[in-house]
Amino acid sequence: MPTRRNFLKQAAAGGAGLLLAPLAGLHSCAPGTSRSHIRGSLHGANHTTGHLLRDASRLPVPTHTRQVEVLIVGGGVAGLTARRELERRGFSPEQVLLVELDEQTGGNSRAGRSEVAAYPWGAHYLPIPDPRNHELLGFLQEAGVITGTDAASGLPLYNEYYLCHDPEERLYLHGHWQNGLVPELGVPPEEKQQIARFFKLIDLLRFATGSDGRDAFRIPVAESSADERFRKLDQVSFAEYLDQAGFSSPHLRWYLDYSCKDDYGATTAQVSAWAGLHYFASRKGRARNAAASDVLTWPEGNGFLAEQLRQQATSPILTNTIAYALQETSTGLAANCYNVATRQSTRVEAQRVILATPLFITERLLNSLPTTAHRALPCHRAPWAVINVTLDGLPQGPGAPLSWDNVLYGTASVGYVNASHQSLSLNAAGSKVITCYLPLPADNPTEARQQAHQTPYDEWVRRILAELETAHPGLTPHVQRADVWVWGHGMVAPTPGFVWSEARQQAAQSWQGKLFFAHTDLSGISIFEEGFYQGLRAAAEVAASTT
Amino acid sequence: MDKVPVRRARRAALAAALPPAPADYHPALLLGSVFVIATCGLIYELIAGTLASYLLGDSVTQFSTIIGAYLFSMGIGSWLSRYLGGSLLRWFIRLEIMVGIVGGFSAPLLFVLFEYVTSFRLILYALVSLTGVLVGLEIPLLMRILENRFEFKDLVSRVFTFDYIGALLASLIFPLVLVPQLGLIRTSLLFGALNVVVAGVALYRFPETRPFRRSLAGGLVVSLLALGVCFGYAERIQTYTEGMAFQDQVIYSKSTTYQRIVLTKNQRELRLFLNGNLQFSSLDEYRYHEALVHPAMQALPQARRALVLGGGDGLAVRELLKYPQLQSIRLVDLDAGMTRLFRQNEMLLGLNKRALLHPKVEVINGDAYQWVRQDTARYDCIVVDFPDPGNYSIGKLYSVAFYRELEKRLAPGGWVVVQSTSPYVARQSFWCVSHTLQAAGFTTLPYHCYVPSFGEWGFVLAGRNAHWRPDAGPLPPGLRYITPATIRDMRFFPPDMSEIPTEVNQLNNQALVRYFEEDWGPYVH
Repeated sequence: MPTRRNFLKQAAAGGAGLLLAPLAGLHSCAPGTSRSHIRGSLHGANHTTGHLLRDASRLPVPTHTRQVEVLIVGGGVAGLTARRELERRGFSPEQVLLVELDEQTGGNSRAGRSEVAAYPWGAHYLPIPDPRNHELLGFLQEAGVITGTDAASGLPLYNEYYLCHDPEERLYLHGHWQNGLVPELGVPPEEKQQIARFFKLIDLLRFATGSDGRDAFRIPVAESSADERFRKLDQVSFAEYLDQAGFSSPHLRWYLDYSCKDDYGATTAQVSAWAGLHYFASRKGRARNAAASDVLTWPEGNGFLAEQLRQQATSPILTNTIAYALQETSTGLAANCYNVATRQSTRVEAQRVILATPLFITERLLNSLPTTAHRALPCHRAPWAVINVTLDGLPQGPGAPLSWDNVLYGTASVGYVNASHQSLSLNAAGSKVITCYLPLPADNPTEARQQAHQTPYDEWVRRILAELETAHPGLTPHVQRADVWVWGHGMVAPTPGFVWSEARQQAAQSWQGKLFFAHTDLSGISIFEEGFYQGLRAAAEVAASTT
Repeated sequence: MDKVPVRRARRAALAAALPPAPADYHPALLLGSVFVIATCGLIYELIAGTLASYLLGDSVTQFSTIIGAYLFSMGIGSWLSRYLGGSLLRWFIRLEIMVGIVGGFSAPLLFVLFEYVTSFRLILYALVSLTGVLVGLEIPLLMRILENRFEFKDLVSRVFTFDYIGALLASLIFPLVLVPQLGLIRTSLLFGALNVVVAGVALYRFPETRPFRRSLAGGLVVSLLALGVCFGYAERIQTYTEGMAFQDQVIYSKSTTYQRIVLTKNQRELRLFLNGNLQFSSLDEYRYHEALVHPAMQALPQARRALVLGGGDGLAVRELLKYPQLQSIRLVDLDAGMTRLFRQNEMLLGLNKRALLHPKVEVINGDAYQWVRQDTARYDCIVVDFPDPGNYSIGKLYSVAFYRELEKRLAPGGWVVVQSTSPYVARQSFWCVSHTLQAAGFTTLPYHCYVPSFGEWGFVLAGRNAHWRPDAGPLPPGLRYITPATIRDMRFFPPDMSEIPTEVNQLNNQALVRYFEEDWGPYVH
């Protein structure tokens, strides 16, 4: 009898498994290939949920009404920061509601987990912050990232478990892994001179100040000098600037292209010289126990920070929920919120709304409001793919050992991060997860986006393994799983004229004291610090408008 | 092209023309068998004796008792032979297959069981006795088969002549050819196969075996296959290439999830290697382990709890157990394969004095870093006996962050002691460990001792401003190296090992791993 019962149970479990598999998005690679054993998920299909917004009239009529003081739309870093900041400014948890389209908050900082380890799905590190960024330092202290302040120097002490462990970076160049990402191995002397000249220039710019007394380059962008001397760098592309300044070394140009792709998802030809230089010259972090070039990182990447932001406030969050049909009311604004899981809509009446959404979403949400509310700020946004590969071993080439950030010279990707790098356990030699970042910069992002959404699972895996195999021959049989996330809209690229445009500054202005905006799109640079800054700014504006 | 069919046809014609071969047609064959089985019999005896002296030590006693047990068992076999009746040839073939299996698999079996069986000696003697009984049956049985084919005086003369020639051959080729070329396991399997081949030849050549030919042939083929497959895999059981890499005979080797454990033995000492790095020699490990434990423990007459991190061999625990005031000792070692070996194997239990089986001792298999972070208990004495910081994963266990975690686990007035590599060879590394402990808030007392197998070896004692004296409390009786005077001497660093400035080892600089590579590099390459 028990045998039969077990059999039935197993059959039921098996059946459930079969039913669930396609729902969980389990894909497999093409049979008959060396990668046919690889399975995994393909995410990013939430563009289908997002695309519901394109025809909001098909969404159901609200069945409930809910009233709040402040409605935050969007649960990325900016939205989560605004929610946390509102509570710090005295709003009670019942007064604030956050709605998020995805099933979890975090935005570009969200994280996943395989059987082996947690891993990032997007942003994965925070450089040691500028100690003048007091708000950020306060948050990091609350999150346990800063453990104290050195009495003598007044500098923060960072939690050693979160400082990126050594060895930090390596580059696969000419068949050999070298330490650090700036090409050195086999680089001709005249190129080395250019590289040295570039970093000397960066050192100068790092300490340069404008006529307004502000730093030439600073994080957040809003604190940077408006001096025309530096602003004019925003008018040309970084590539043009480099050409003019005589930086022609192919190794240097590859490195700078890599850097721009890494932070902006765009090439040196696509971003402005101001943004390209900002990437290097804005790093002014100081700490008692870390260098300016050090970074903070976690197995789950900035998912750690997003989660800390979420936990540092208590107001409710509705996930799987999209806001649409924003309307003016006598006391403020109302939005319909559709829950994808329950397929029901709720009308949320709020006195104030913070749109912490990327601008292409913001534009759609504002359609139903008068044109004065509309934001006209075209953004260049390239798609990305992030592929988390779970391995039971990683065959190494000659040279430097596996590091946190591992970049392959001259490839399409910007390399991979060892998500298990911060692990303290000794069996790190065995199973691990590596997170591969594949930006897809294109002159026509819309086309590239469509193509990315149509690319099948197998093709992503093939593409990334073909690249990894060059530095790790024999890797494919060690792959246990590969999970893919396609970011159709990636992040904003600071194209020439974007960061210092009037339009950008206007787009961030609130509307009639009811509608506020918070997103890194409004900074022009998509990094954690900017998202944090945008959330703080919007929350401060909301607080100011209520008093 | 047509040559082969012609030859085959001729042979068939000849066979048809001749009368069936009489039973006494093959005396040479049977005497040849005597020769082979005699060689095999002695080889099994030599294998058992050699294995016993490898695995249990004390070769004179082992060889002597193994030979005695083997010969006595042969006597039992000879006596039992009288009870065998019916078809003697059938018994003989069965017996040869059985000897082939038991004798052939004896060496691989003993190697595999060495780790798992507490009373290894019992298994060894049981196997030796079984082989002896079977081998003892062979000659009497053969003599009975041959009794009608020879005159008695001829029979006795020939059988024993071949028996002793076989013995001479075996005793010569075993040390000169077989052990160096094939190793023990393959030799054992090869001679097992020869016994089975003797059975096969008898089965094929004697027409009276026809009625049971089919049933025995099956068993014969299966045994030969099994021996052959095992021969192919022998390298996995004991890589003899490894035997060449190590100076001495490898008596045990196993790859666990974390490391490769190898034990080697010569007449004087037993050595343990982890991933090829010497961990101890039984000859002088007492110096290392006494120096590791007693300077800290003699200063802790009130100590109740001790923690050992690493040290899965139980040798540090053995020293701790000499202090009756300790009520509990926890040992955290990553590798269950290692602690199992040192809790189960008789020879190793002799070395660690069954320390890991002591009721006061709790063995935990886990990752030390994770475990220490989760632990909530406090210890009076913490002994840190990790492998040298040769890679970035182990380097984290020597970081200031790790020492801060240890500091939280240390009871007031307690002491931590850290094995800190050689202050002579790896001077930067040694002082880096000391400076890292200081950065974690400890006061440190570095010291060193001479361990012949290792050279000068260093340790760092660390406490919270606690008062320490080299003669604070009584030392346990029976120590061979440590006295209050030795402790005082160990604290002195001559100029070639004296303190030098170093960086502090942090997770984000891994300074120690870099020092270690620099320090040991010239010695390795």
